[in-house]
Amino acid sequence: MSTAQNYRTINIDTLDPDSPQNFPLPTLLPSTLPPPSTSSAAANTATQVRQLLRSGDATGALRVVLDTAPLGGDEGAKQVHLATVVDVLQGIRQGEMGRVLEGVLVGEGGGERGDCLMKYLYKGMASTGPGSGSQSPRKGISPQSTGFSQVQGRNLGEGGGGQQMSVLLNWHEKLVELAGTGSIVRVMTDRRTV
Amino acid sequence: MSQSLRPYLQCVRSSLTAALAISNFASQTSERHNVPEIEAASSPELLLNPLTVSRNENEKVLIEPSVNSVRVSIRIKQADEIEHILVHKFTRFLTMRAESFFILRRKPVKGYDISFLITNFHTEAMLKHKLVDFILQFMEEVDKEISEMKLFLNARARFVAESFLTPFD
Repeated sequence: MSTAQNYRTINIDTLDPDSPQNFPLPTLLPSTLPPPSTSSAAANTATQVRQLLRSGDATGALRVVLDTAPLGGDEGAKQVHLATVVDVLQGIRQGEMGRVLEGVLVGEGGGERGDCLMKYLYKGMASTGPGSGSQSPRKGISPQSTGFSQVQGRNLGEGGGGQQMSVLLNWHEKLVELAGTGSIVRVMTDRRTV
Repeated sequence: MSQSLRPYLQCVRSSLTAALAISNFASQTSERHNVPEIEAASSPELLLNPLTVSRNENEKVLIEPSVNSVRVSIRIKQADEIEHILVHKFTRFLTMRAESFFILRRKPVKGYDISFLITNFHTEAMLKHKLVDFILQFMEEVDKEISEMKLFLNARARFVAESFLTPFD
């Protein structure tokens, strides 16, 4: 710690091992966590899932992709897997949604798969859609520059990723119908993030 | 209601209903204190995973739940600069009067336009489903309000410009 820092501004709670601030969060994870995986393993799953999807087995593809969620994986693996899940969800037509979801939720571990899907729906909505990194071309909207500076600039215009979001929102509605609000509560409380 | 607005609001409704399961929880750091844990953030185990519901880049709701409080932040749709200014003025008007709104937070979370902070005392004093209804109604109304204000503003600007330019006619 640099001596230049004012000692009054130091948060002493972080230095106390018994402080609630330093609660050991990993102790909240269950011991049955799957082994850590990397992005290459997630990419392998992705090709396998895409094959299933191409052969028309949407239920099977969704089952596999939710069963192989990298709960213990690193950030790269999680990103790759999220892209796979979103691809699968987008690849299923709206009319088939209910039937596929019922197929995924039945059988052993059906509830787990439902919760996992719910996690991915929220994660998909939290992550910005593809192509959002590029600034909107409609930057100079106002015809005259008035030098108005009271408000900060931001990315105006209809944002990208609206299509993907509406797919996720439709899935969310169906899943809440079938799995109930408890599924959302489990997403909030589960420390095994996807 | 437009096609994609309904699932969006439905999603916010179910997420809020789930997140508003909160109970009284005294502070672990200081005796005889009772603070909203989501704001204090003094113990990481009391904060739950935040949920984001988004319709597109510019319309999102962030729900940050904790053991005794939930913070709900809304990003209001702003299609152009006029709407941006209107939203800024409108939310400022509301947040300056935050004490009469009970659950309104004085300052929005970064990246959002307006925030609500719901604690266990609010859910004890008020009906939970009515709180959810209130936020949903706010989200519906605010879009309408902003576009209405924009129309008024344009009509007024046209009138002012016309009367200003009449002498030069």
